[in-house]
This record gives sequence, C-alpha cells and structure tokens, in this order.
Amino acid sequence: MHLLRFIAGRLVVYALVIVFALTVLFFVPRLGPTDPVEAMLAKVASQGAYMDPAQVDKLRQSLIDTFGLGGSLWEQYGAFVNRIVFSADFGPSLSMYPTPVMELIWNALPWTFGLLLSSTLIAWILGNFVGLLSGWRPNSNSSRVMEGIAICLYPIPYYILALVLSILFSYVWKIFPLTTTIRGAPWSWELVSSIVWNSFLPAMSIVIVVFGWWVISVKAQTSALKEEEFARYARLKGLSDGRILTAYILPNALLPQITFLALQIGLMFNGSLITEILFDYPGLGLLIYTAVLQGDFNLLMGTISLSVIAVATATMIIDLIYPLLDPRIRHR
Amino acid sequence: MISIDNVTVGYGAAGFITAVDGVSFTIGSNEIIGIAGESGSGKSTLMRAVYGDFSTGLRIKSGTVTGRFTDAATGKTIEKPSSLFRDLWWDQISYIPQGSMSVLNPLMKIEKQVVDGLPRRERGGGRRELRARIAKFLAGFGLEENVLDAYPHQLSGGMRQRVLVAIAAFVNPRLILADEPTTALDVVVQKKILLMMVEIQRRLQNTLVLVSHDLGVHYQITDRLVIMYKGQIVEAGRTADIFANPQHDYTRNLIASLPRLHGQRAVDRVGAGA
Repeated sequence: MHLLRFIAGRLVVYALVIVFALTVLFFVPRLGPTDPVEAMLAKVASQGAYMDPAQVDKLRQSLIDTFGLGGSLWEQYGAFVNRIVFSADFGPSLSMYPTPVMELIWNALPWTFGLLLSSTLIAWILGNFVGLLSGWRPNSNSSRVMEGIAICLYPIPYYILALVLSILFSYVWKIFPLTTTIRGAPWSWELVSSIVWNSFLPAMSIVIVVFGWWVISVKAQTSALKEEEFARYARLKGLSDGRILTAYILPNALLPQITFLALQIGLMFNGSLITEILFDYPGLGLLIYTAVLQGDFNLLMGTISLSVIAVATATMIIDLIYPLLDPRIRHR
Repeated sequence: MISIDNVTVGYGAAGFITAVDGVSFTIGSNEIIGIAGESGSGKSTLMRAVYGDFSTGLRIKSGTVTGRFTDAATGKTIEKPSSLFRDLWWDQISYIPQGSMSVLNPLMKIEKQVVDGLPRRERGGGRRELRARIAKFLAGFGLEENVLDAYPHQLSGGMRQRVLVAIAAFVNPRLILADEPTTALDVVVQKKILLMMVEIQRRLQNTLVLVSHDLGVHYQITDRLVIMYKGQIVEAGRTADIFANPQHDYTRNLIASLPRLHGQRAVDRVGAGA
C-alpha cells in the first residue's frame, strides 16, 4: 500500500514536470527577437529569386500556417498541446524544411542516448569500484594515488578537458577521427565498429570528468560506513573483508550514489551539448545548437521537449528502482 | 578457559593511554561471570582484549590473555593469545553487542544475518532445514518465524536485542561475551532477556561473560562478579558473597546506590570522592 502510494506520487510529479517544462518551452522562444517566417523569407530573397510583394505575402501566409504560428498565443498553445500529446508531432523543421522535426530527432537520439548511457555507466561503475576500494583502505598507497588522480581530474572544466583530448588524440597523434564519419551498411559489423570508434573520445571525455567526482564521494561514503556499528559487528563475527565489503558496505554505500546518479543525469544531458559540438557528434545536443543558431522554433521545441522527457523519465526510473534497494522505503 | 595474567591494555602507540591496569583473573568453563564498574572503569576495554578485538588503536602493553579451547571436530586443544582469536570468532567465541539501531545491517533480512558468519558445523542440512532450525531456536526467544523475513527497522528495540542474543547463541560457542546487552531496554524486557541468557548458558554448559554497569543485572544472573574501578579490579568473588559482604569501599557504594523497595536508598557514602 505504502509502495503503491510512493509510485503514484512519483508518477504525478513526473507528469507535472513535463507539463510545466513544455509550457515554459512554448512561451520562451516566442518572446525572443527572431521571427522564423521573416528569416525564411530573407533566406529565399538572399538566394536571388525575385518575387513581387503579393507573392511574398502569399508565401508568408502559407509559412505561418505550416509552422503553426497563426492566431493568438493561446490558440497556438492549444494547437501545440494538441499536436504533441496526440500525435507526438513537432511539425516540419524550419531550417531544414520540409524534413519533419521528429525524423531529425529520431536520427539523433540513438547517438546521444548511446553516448550518455555508456559513458555514465562506465564512469559510475568504475568510480564506485575504485572509491569503494580506496575508502576501505584509505591509507594504502594505491588508494592515495587514486584519490590524487581523482582530485586532479575533478576540477578541470569539461570543455578544456574535451578540447585537450581532441587536440592530442585526433590532431597531434591522429588516433581518433576529428569529425564523425560513419561507414558501413545498417546493422553490419563495420557500422558498429565505426560507431564505437567515433564515440570513443567523446565518451572518454565524459567518463574522465565524472569519474573523479564518483571516486571522491564513494570514498567518503565507504570510510564513514566502515566505522558504523554494523560493519564492526560483521568484523567481530569473523567475516572476511571481501564479505564485509560486498554484503555490508557496498549496498549501504550505493544508496546515496543512486540518488546522485539521478541528479547527475540532468547535468550530463546539458554537458552532452558541449561534447557534441566539440567532437562534431551527430546527437541531440548538436541538433539543439543548430536549432538555436537558425531560430528554428519547431526543431528547438522538439529537441528540448525530448530532452526534458528523457531526463525526467531517466530520473523517474531511478527513483522507482530505489525502493527495490532500500527496504526502509519498500515497507514500513 | 581464559587466563588473564597481569594485563595492561590501552589505546594509542606514541601517547599510550592506559585503560586496564595490571588485571589478573581467570574465566572458567560453565559459569556466568559479571564485570561491573562505572563508565571509564575499563570493563569494555578488558572485554575487547579478551575477545581479541584489537582495532582502533587498542593494544596490550604488558601481560597476557590466553585462551584454551577444544576443537569440536578434532578434539585437539587449541591454546593461543587473544590477539590470534580471530579464527575462533563465531566458532568457539561469540559476542552480543549493545543493540542500538545500527548494529544490524539495515539492508539485510534477519535470516541472512543469523546465517552470515555461522561455522560450518552449525550449517548442516539444506537451506530449508537450517531455516527451520533457526525458526525453532528463535521461538525459544518468543520470536515468530516471520522475524526471519523482516528487516531490522521492522523490529522493536527489545526484539532486535533478542535477535542479537539469538545470533550469538545459535553459533553454539564455548564462550559468549556480552557488552551491556540490556542497557537500552526497559526493566521488563531486560529481565526476560537476562533469563533467556541464563537458560542458554545452562543448556549449552558454556561460559557467559556479562559486562554491565548495572549491579541489579549482575545480582540476578551472575555466578561470579568482578568489580572494576579506574582500570583495576578492586574486588572479585562469588556474586552472593560480594553482595552479602562487600569488602571494598567502591563496591559498598555501588551496592548502596541501588534503589530499594523499602526505606531510603543509603545516603551515607563510604569514602569521599569515590
């Protein structure tokens, strides 16, 4: 009963977050200075084609219709909600007209998803593992070395680290590609290896930056838990160090780490914007960047909405996993 | 079973702080020994030295604590100093901590915490058979079988303490050390748990060492009593004798401080400043 209430409450929060975010998203770009219709007309004009004013007016009207910019703000909002909720359609892209926004997003989403999922998991598992061991023996040499490395990595601004990696490994030593080029037929081994090859450096840059933070926080957790009474009791039962570490310290150390993971996912998503621009990585971040530069309302709306939904969903999934790991929340 | 010979125990390597100062006594088999004394008298430190828990800077400066046990499987006699007791833990010796909220792992079911650390000889049979034996054992403590599937936070303080006693006793050890096992409980629950501990000792014919500041607890269950004060043993002997005829001023004060059913608590303190 308690668990059901917990899940229901979490789902309500999830829905509210998304509704609120989408509403903000709808209004903010419309308060901005760029008018996409005029921008589009200017683009057509700049290509040198002559059009008489009547033709221009006609074109303007048809653009307003297709982009859903006609009518009052409230009418537009109603149409917007209608379109998103019932057909998951963000209309055509304005800058890459007439490709539908959803098609662009579906092409970019797996890239971002794969990059973030793999790098987050690698950093989290590696960081927890190293942090756990170095918290267990805080005075050993290897623990001190690991902590030193973590403390050195942790404060480096992400974009500097990414640039250094990119310059060293793609430009100076030419090991990894500077820009992303994918080769191979769909679902072939060549395609997979080419994706891994192209994603390696951006993923590493994220892993390195996040890793240090995990090591430091898990180490602090572990060395505190080691002094807890239940850890002492387990030791006085004559249990082996390995058993104490895996069955007593680790599960208790992981609980706050899972909360941190939920909090970090949002930040990681923001970070991926920079990653994708710096490494020319064809994901959602690069798409958002393009949309902002081009004043592409629909694309911006689509990409950011999807980011919000993705982050909210990931956070919710982690929140729902939490009671499985902590019996104190599961039953009272 | 355990002989403690002129042992001085304390903390720290460079600036050594003495907690137990030149203490000697023996712990025999099949008896209940109480160690009493105020906070800081060294009773818990002495108990840790006997158990062989030399962590957090605890060390023996001089003297010896030696244990003699009989290996149940081979029948051989094991004799070693308490610093090497580690492989006897949860086999020949077990321990009952003061059951605060955090002694049991909050993320592990009680059944697993009973089984964890159990010596091979007590694990016999399949998992189901072991569970049935544990459930039967817990029933003797007035705990139902569903306690095995509970997490620590679902149990009351008294239940948790009974679980801790049960965990230590289920090992079937020769020696059980209990550090203030009933201090956090109300007197009704306290009495119940003390009686259980006596019953277990009588059944297993092993040795129970009970550390407590509460003389009432010692009066109820111990056979022999050791009174500690400022790191030294000021008096030792049969519990009944000590209560009937206390020799040391400090002991007299401790006994006088007990609440009485009739009349006033003795106010005329013996020996000023004690």
